[in-house]
Amino acid sequence: MSSLPKAVLDQLAAAVGPRYCIADDSEIRTYESDGLTSFRAIAGAVVLPNSTEEVAAVVKIAKAAGIPIVPRGAGTGLSGGALPIPGSIVIPLTRMRRFLEVDPENGWIRVEPGVVNLDVSKRVGPSGYYYAPDPSSQSVCTIGGNVAENSGGAHCLKYGFTVHHVLGVRMVLGDGEVVDIGGPVLDVPGYNLLGAIVGSEGMLGIVTEVVLRILRKPQATRTFFATFPSTDEAGNTVSGIIAAGIVPAAIEMMDRLAIKAIKAATQVDWPDVAAALLMDVDGPLAEVEHTAAQAIAVAEKAGAIEIRRPRDEAERAMMWRGRKSAFAAMGRISPNYVVQDGVIPRSEISGVLREIASLSSRAGLRVANVFHAGDGNLHPLVLYDASIAGQEKQAEELGGEILKICVRVGGSITGEHGVGADKAIYMTEMFAEPDLAAMNLVRCAFDPERRFNPGKVFPTPRLCGDRPGKYVPHPLEVAGTAGRG
Amino acid sequence: MSGPVGRAAEPSDAVAGIVPKVVYTPASVEEAAQVLAQTRTMNAAIAFVGGGSELELGAPPRALEAVLRTERLNRIVEYIPDDMVMTVEAGVPLASLQRTTAEHGQQLALDPPSPDRSTVGGLVATNAFGPRRARYGSIKDLIIGATLILEDGTITRGGGKVVKNVAGFDVPKLICGSLGTLGMVATATFRLHPLPEASETVLVPGQSATTLRALIAAARDAQLEPSSCVAFWRQDRWDVAFRFEGFASGLKQQTERLAAIGTEQKSSCDRIDSAAAQELWSEHDHIRTQAELRVKFGALPSDLTSIEAEWLAPLLRTVGEAQAAWHPTLGIGFVSGRVLDPARTAKALESLRSALTSRGGSLVLTAAPAAVRQQIDVWGPPPSAFQLMRRIKDRFDPDARLNPGRFVGGL
Repeated sequence: MSSLPKAVLDQLAAAVGPRYCIADDSEIRTYESDGLTSFRAIAGAVVLPNSTEEVAAVVKIAKAAGIPIVPRGAGTGLSGGALPIPGSIVIPLTRMRRFLEVDPENGWIRVEPGVVNLDVSKRVGPSGYYYAPDPSSQSVCTIGGNVAENSGGAHCLKYGFTVHHVLGVRMVLGDGEVVDIGGPVLDVPGYNLLGAIVGSEGMLGIVTEVVLRILRKPQATRTFFATFPSTDEAGNTVSGIIAAGIVPAAIEMMDRLAIKAIKAATQVDWPDVAAALLMDVDGPLAEVEHTAAQAIAVAEKAGAIEIRRPRDEAERAMMWRGRKSAFAAMGRISPNYVVQDGVIPRSEISGVLREIASLSSRAGLRVANVFHAGDGNLHPLVLYDASIAGQEKQAEELGGEILKICVRVGGSITGEHGVGADKAIYMTEMFAEPDLAAMNLVRCAFDPERRFNPGKVFPTPRLCGDRPGKYVPHPLEVAGTAGRG
Repeated sequence: MSGPVGRAAEPSDAVAGIVPKVVYTPASVEEAAQVLAQTRTMNAAIAFVGGGSELELGAPPRALEAVLRTERLNRIVEYIPDDMVMTVEAGVPLASLQRTTAEHGQQLALDPPSPDRSTVGGLVATNAFGPRRARYGSIKDLIIGATLILEDGTITRGGGKVVKNVAGFDVPKLICGSLGTLGMVATATFRLHPLPEASETVLVPGQSATTLRALIAAARDAQLEPSSCVAFWRQDRWDVAFRFEGFASGLKQQTERLAAIGTEQKSSCDRIDSAAAQELWSEHDHIRTQAELRVKFGALPSDLTSIEAEWLAPLLRTVGEAQAAWHPTLGIGFVSGRVLDPARTAKALESLRSALTSRGGSLVLTAAPAAVRQQIDVWGPPPSAFQLMRRIKDRFDPDARLNPGRFVGGL
């Protein structure tokens, strides 16, 4: 049974209805991890509210009882951002999936956080609009989760990330207070709180409504798929296209192992080659005809083996399905894998891929590479077999080494998956103590009691009395009685 | 023990009308941090000044002992053209940054007024933008990293130097538009864009608010992608300028499609030469920089039709040399003019402001004579999340000595 006191469970059940207050062990286990399944923990209760008021009520109960809260979307995250804190209240927002207002003329839509990413585009598609951020999990991941993680996707190279498309939120803070931040009208005076909220990994509060920017669909899209003798030629093609002044909508690279897995998992008829690029340009017709022709010329000059243009929308969709299924496809060539999510300056791609290859052979573990080449966002997939003792740990260590390379060449430990529980320990590779202290000022302004998602993002415990630059551990931490984060 | 030494301030060092006692001009980020640490020991209120192009913005600071001028923080810290990313110090003027990137066919896709004068630090502090916001957004959409010196002199970094990065909370985006009240922006890192091969401006004159709305809807239906779109107020009508930028073949198609829309709507649709285009776009900059009274307002794009006759036109009638520009794809407008009767203008501003705020918008006096300021708050009512903003301010600046009182609601 739940580790929470019966009185608290009763209050939670009263707040959301008994059916939506889950305290049974086996049902709680359904929520023991997110997409990063190597991290698991058991919540005290899982509570599914159906309105802002219910969220606020649950937050107040948690505050009174001193219980941490872990907000959750569809649980597709890959960094353990929605990993339960043991004994916490997990709040999935999946029941809150209403479309509240649609205003295509002014380019926005108001939705609840449980709305699935792709459903936004489906909803506004008939009037000629779409929602730009397109994480690979877009058919299941939710807008609330996207806001928490500042999700990207293949097409953020041209169109930006979630933060560029969120105009406003309604948010429940740690004391149960409900605040409206931003909205459909631009530039209301005040601090750019949305800049801090989007990507805050559920640590500042719970977003219960989101105003999203929706865009008119581009007139035309041109897609091509090109194969190369090695990742060097593919990388040179990417650089050449960018140098030609083209901003592709998306430009994705896959290496031999990734192509092999995708072929095994989907219907694509790609050849066995060392590297492939999948690219979209979009915009006004005459412009994309021009940029597509130019990009193809660059690829040919760089040494492409073959260039394919999809004959129709179905074939184009198939190509993209191939790319977007890459992670799941690893199951066809390996019993287990870990996904990494590092970013490097584009000019470092060839060198870093070579370093990854040498780390891979030294460790005796295969690494498949699928990545957003236009913005240097690598997704190395380290393949391993969990039934072999020690291999999982070895795979995780290899992933960690790759992140260190990313930081060394001036990049980042995460481009879109978030820090979560998984990468908190790597934050110090990228940020110094004062940098983390400044981030903590933001957190403490929103959530001084650290009610929301404690233990994520920050590598070491951090209370809210801290002053930047002269951090002294709180006596409770020294004594080991205060929780991490 | 010797800290940074300032010089005595002069009247020209005033910030929103308040003259400080001492002015510091540090030559490095470290020296700037020392200025903050040193002024802290005296609990001295301090403001940061770049090119001084927005010093009339905001309320006068409640206190002001010191000013830190960024003019010697003028280095380009790093520029790797292949990565299309640039890091610069706060005092670098935008025009000088753009000259460097242009040598590589690149730009910071930001076109606020006064690029010769405006510095990077000031642009970040005011969340700057120009007409190209229609495509590229404002500076908060282009910043990917920053060095922020905290009130106690601690040097902190946020973000990074790659475009895609979600590690940690995005402090650089939070400080965009914070008007120097949370810390000092010492360096900023931006993503760059390619310079367009060609640019074309088309003028569709003589629109009413209603036909303007139909024109914009038709342009959107036709999937046109202007990089800028501004309607200029001409007393009884709006002249609408569209700017298209990109590859020449694409521009030709877009201007032809716009011409077809013009024909359908019985409007002329004139491609104008580059000299005339430049004049038109600089007229927009003039509205934002020249007159003694300058106003920025926001509303849903479709709300122009409901606010124009009843509130906007009456305001424009109260001032001399009245000018206005409206960004019909963004929902942002600017008004400028000479105040004839402060009480009458203030009343008209209040009426327009209340019409806008009741529709979720806002109105800010970016410059105004004292006689108007006495009658109307430059920022207007604090936004709904104001208490949260107050808590942010208290965390970053607990003794309220960074530009105190200048921002909305006395932050």
